[in-house]
Amino acid sequence: MDTEKNIDDEKINIIDSTLRSGEQTAGVVFSKNEKIRIAKMLDEIGIPEIEVGVPSNSEHERDIIKAIINLKLSSRIFGYCEADPKEVDYAIQCGLKNIVITVFTSNGHIKEKYNNRRTLISKLKDTIKELKNNEINYIISAEDGTRADLELLLQIIHIAKNKGAFRVRICDSVGAFDPFKTFLRINTILSTVDFPIEVHTKNNFGMATANGLAAIRAGASSIMTTVNGIAEGTGNTALEEIVMALKYLEDVDLGINTSRFRELSEYVAKASSRAIPVWKAIVGTNVFAHESGIHADGVLKNPRNYEVFDPSEVGLTRQLVVGKHSGSHTILHKFKEFGIELTDVEANEILAMTRAMSVDLKRPLFDKELMYIYRDYIDSKNEENTEA
Amino acid sequence: MRGINILTEFSQKASEKIDPKLIKIDDTTLRDGEQTAGVVFANEEKIHIAKMLDDIGVHQIEVGIPAMGGDEKEAIKRIASMGLNCSLLAWNRAVISDLEASRECGVDSVAISISSSDIHIEQKLRKTREWVLESVRNSVDYAKKYNLYVSVNAEDASRTDMEFLLQFARNARDAGADRLRYCDTLGIMDPFETFMRIKTIKDIIGIDIEMHTHNDFGMAVANSIAGIKAGANYVNTTINGLGERAGNAAFEELVMALKHIENIDLGFNTKKFKEMSEYVANASGRIIPSWKPIVGSNIFVFESENRIKLYNANPRNYELFDPEDVGLEFKVILGKYSGFYSLKYKLELMGFSFNDSQISELVGIIRNKAISLKRSLFDSEIVETCDLYLKSNS
Repeated sequence: MDTEKNIDDEKINIIDSTLRSGEQTAGVVFSKNEKIRIAKMLDEIGIPEIEVGVPSNSEHERDIIKAIINLKLSSRIFGYCEADPKEVDYAIQCGLKNIVITVFTSNGHIKEKYNNRRTLISKLKDTIKELKNNEINYIISAEDGTRADLELLLQIIHIAKNKGAFRVRICDSVGAFDPFKTFLRINTILSTVDFPIEVHTKNNFGMATANGLAAIRAGASSIMTTVNGIAEGTGNTALEEIVMALKYLEDVDLGINTSRFRELSEYVAKASSRAIPVWKAIVGTNVFAHESGIHADGVLKNPRNYEVFDPSEVGLTRQLVVGKHSGSHTILHKFKEFGIELTDVEANEILAMTRAMSVDLKRPLFDKELMYIYRDYIDSKNEENTEA
Repeated sequence: MRGINILTEFSQKASEKIDPKLIKIDDTTLRDGEQTAGVVFANEEKIHIAKMLDDIGVHQIEVGIPAMGGDEKEAIKRIASMGLNCSLLAWNRAVISDLEASRECGVDSVAISISSSDIHIEQKLRKTREWVLESVRNSVDYAKKYNLYVSVNAEDASRTDMEFLLQFARNARDAGADRLRYCDTLGIMDPFETFMRIKTIKDIIGIDIEMHTHNDFGMAVANSIAGIKAGANYVNTTINGLGERAGNAAFEELVMALKHIENIDLGFNTKKFKEMSEYVANASGRIIPSWKPIVGSNIFVFESENRIKLYNANPRNYELFDPEDVGLEFKVILGKYSGFYSLKYKLELMGFSFNDSQISELVGIIRNKAISLKRSLFDSEIVETCDLYLKSNS
């Protein structure tokens, strides 16, 4: 009953933009050392392409970009520019060989940025001339592309194809699409013109990953991500989510070393001062924590009852939490870990005590507290025995 | 290429208009939300959350698990006695004693939950499919004797063999259940698979369907919407997406996505979303990330040049709804990505009047300051920077 798989594993590319789009988050600035460390980590885990920054931003930014280029990583390094020959010159100063060129493509955006489409196209063509003169590889990025007129989008793709761009990126800049709309748009484009398409999806309504996946199912061959999904507003498609969704839901293994996802996420979280929520999909510490009796019991019998993949696959560990919703199986298991074999009767009596304590404290119990309860329990048993 | 054609067909079908009156929200913050490892609500908090949900206009609240007894049962009884407008649903295993506890609480609806996948039936329940079907029949019979509205929950429906899932749904319907809850317990569906499975059940069995999706791969909201597109008419949400592991479909995200992307306006009072999210965040000890869709404190805080310029020309250039719609505020901050326009806008707002060449100079100064501070500037630092600039140029 599966809808047929039609994704070609070999062709799916990831371009991570944590260092550019991620840093553009209102309030976030990465230091030079952090940018270098993140670039290295992305390279080490096998991300094919990295967007490292905006050359026109500052001398400081250009200095960082040069330093990253000098690392000679396996990942292909990209700078990000608006369609403007002057911006391209800054990129060239850094020694960049690959550039993402942005044009604003929805009617609302065009009106503000270029006044009309003709100006947009001529700016784009001027910029391309500059790029070609300097033998720079480039991607054309269509900002607000999901809301752009389809005709204009196709015109841009034709220019890209004729002038030797290697891809066109379509941005759902306001998160205006759902997966079905995304599918239709990408599918329509690819039925009209044969050219590599990349998508950049936003999380305004919580659908960035689903939309990215829908675009890939429609034939898009590249997706832009950021670690933890950090970016302006609600953020982008999270690297760790799309990679794991492709692997486990679509059977497309990109060969990325996912066991370092937690480490990478933690590093970016610290560098951006944006702590990972404990419930964050894929890398949150609570994703493999089980409290409720039914779930904990299920996981103890067979982890696949409630987990799709093993926590070690993303660098996490499984935890059994003892709290209000715990059952006696968890108590038995926990105490076994402490080297104490309880009988079923004992486990049930201790369970009642742990539940009451958890409701009172309004949180689950630490291992220490479980031991205190155990001692109280044993003491009360002894007293009963003495009295008897 | 057939795969592509099927997906195209789904996507076209998904663009058909849906009548908002048909779609209902059953919020489970108080049940699945509280089941989050580490979260316990006090009874007073539960009552407050129930009131807020009712105020906002939610159709049904899943209030808890009466079979747990004690405090939990007490909270459910109290909520049931408050005379709320919405329907109240209690969660049960397919066990008569659980349903008895629910009856004692005075709720009008019950969810009867049982696993439908072979892996759960064999390895967790250690029973048979026939046992599952019979347990459902017996418990639905019991609940219907007492005129309760009944949702039968197919736990781990996503990993259930479709043939058996249809049998499960038919069995529930024939026993008198009012709806089937499709539980993507592990969060392993993508929107296309969801669409196909829900449409199949809906077309063949014709029972009302509720979506219960998990966010393990970040697709809870998208999958719930896919379910609605395929004919489901209830969604089981939680505020802030609270729930086991990576959580459930977030109430506020789903409601706003339906309204602004799907043109399905449920008529809820969205202005209270931020307040409600904050309350639940505090009660659950799960702070809202600043970038959280719909209610995050940073989502209407703008720093980069183009975004501010285009937003000020027309807010719809960068956001589909206004911050006030959800109880938030728009704000411009200055940092590494600020440019001429954003500085001009912000500094005028702060009462400075610089000419264009001064602003151009200040762009570089502000950017460098943000780089050295490794963050955006506080308003007081902007004032300080401008004063210093004026002094050194006079």
